[in-house]
Amino acid sequence: MRPAHLAQEKAPTMENAPTIDNVEQASRRGEVLVSARGLEKSFYGRTILKHVDFEMKTGDITVIIGKSGSGKSTLLRAIAGLTDPDAGEIAIGGKTVFADGARTKEWNTVKSDVGMVFQTYTLWPHMNVLENLTLAPRKRLGMKAGEARDRAEIALEEVGMKHHILSRSTQLSGGERQRVAIARALMMKPKLLLCDEITSALDPPVAAEVLEVLRRLKEEDGIALALVTHDMAFASKAADRVVFFHEGEIAVNSSPADAFDHCTNEDLKRFVDAVRF
Amino acid sequence: MNYNFDWGVVVDAFPTLLGGLGLTLQLAVITIVISMVLAVPLAMARMARIEVIRWAAQAYIEVFRCTPLLVQLFWIFYALPALTGITLPGYVSALIALSANLTAFMAEAYRSGFQSVPVEQVEAGRMLQLSHLQQLRYIILPQALRQQLPVILSLNISLFKDTALVSTIAVADLMFIANTVSAQSYRSLEVFTVAALMYFAIAFPVSLITSNIERRMQLAAGHGPIGKKLFLARLVPGKKTVTL
Repeated sequence: MRPAHLAQEKAPTMENAPTIDNVEQASRRGEVLVSARGLEKSFYGRTILKHVDFEMKTGDITVIIGKSGSGKSTLLRAIAGLTDPDAGEIAIGGKTVFADGARTKEWNTVKSDVGMVFQTYTLWPHMNVLENLTLAPRKRLGMKAGEARDRAEIALEEVGMKHHILSRSTQLSGGERQRVAIARALMMKPKLLLCDEITSALDPPVAAEVLEVLRRLKEEDGIALALVTHDMAFASKAADRVVFFHEGEIAVNSSPADAFDHCTNEDLKRFVDAVRF
Repeated sequence: MNYNFDWGVVVDAFPTLLGGLGLTLQLAVITIVISMVLAVPLAMARMARIEVIRWAAQAYIEVFRCTPLLVQLFWIFYALPALTGITLPGYVSALIALSANLTAFMAEAYRSGFQSVPVEQVEAGRMLQLSHLQQLRYIILPQALRQQLPVILSLNISLFKDTALVSTIAVADLMFIANTVSAQSYRSLEVFTVAALMYFAIAFPVSLITSNIERRMQLAAGHGPIGKKLFLARLVPGKKTVTL
């Protein structure tokens, strides 16, 4: 059931989302980029997502918060195509990519618009930073080595890691690895970047640096970000929407001001208090 | 000990023994190359989602792991012709038996290596639109091979020694030549000692390299700093490494 404070908002539908052809225009207008309806998912008899409705607008930062096991990561993985829900529909850029329990053919046309950065450092340790960044563009986009390197330098510049272009990933700190992982995701020029607890293993100052990189990406490149994080300061400052998951349901979906300053949801209050102190 | 050594026999037979060693090395190298390639699809099949494929791969691996290599060799050389009517030369039978056997062991080493690669690394490749084959080629295989290199080298050393069994089906390898020279000269002690030294001269350096790689991997995994170390200290198994 939708929370009362969302009742007046128009429910996300497959119809009112933009098509992928006008995603550029949509990014200027802030239209619906991701729309999910009635998502359900169970693992070994335990229900993780309970009829979840979710939407994201192009160019927005959506911060997803909630206790472990509440369904946050499962939602991101479902949007990313790494996990198939048991039921429900997902549309990206107006194209239905998941329906009737399976990925549709449309998924192949939009999946390159979706990037993901993971909680654990997923840089490939047998490659240096440059190789990590250029592998996919060379092998999937058929880019020449020089062109891929140029793009890698730009992406690394964006995350402040250009000076580490020839470093091995094992030589980098946690925060540096995450910034390189973000740059690697940027190499495929995604319109939507999903970040699954990417700062949870980092010290607060380092986490703040990484989150600042994400905020700049939104500001400068208009990339939509869905971010699972426990950093409430970032959520209140940079997020356009805050989504609070509780026991597999979206209990709160509102602006940061409503979520944190005028919150009426007791579960969210308790969660925020627990995370802050 | 009242034994009069006669190394002249060995000196006379040395070129022949070297020829046998050449065939042994040839058998070992061809077998290793074939097995290292065939073990990849077998390991993949062993982890397949389709049960029938998984079971078939498992059955193959268990049959070759749980029966003696000598029996497998005899079965291919003596029993297969009775079953199919096709008689294979000893050399080909030896290659088939050795490759089939090593592939089973190698596939298990690969599988273990594949499973040691964190799933998030593969998912990262998937999110970057790499195909399954590209994920295998560029992400999984290099890491799995690196992870399992000591095991793979150990298997190869064992295989090299096991080639001696092919002498039982009249393949003229080092063991067969040594046996023949020994039977002709009645100088078993000298001939088999030299044959053993020849096997050792090949296997021991590989064993040292294996130990070195293992030690380097332990250090790289955070069990100590990688510094400049005495070359021999790095190689000798069990010896504590010394940092200069």
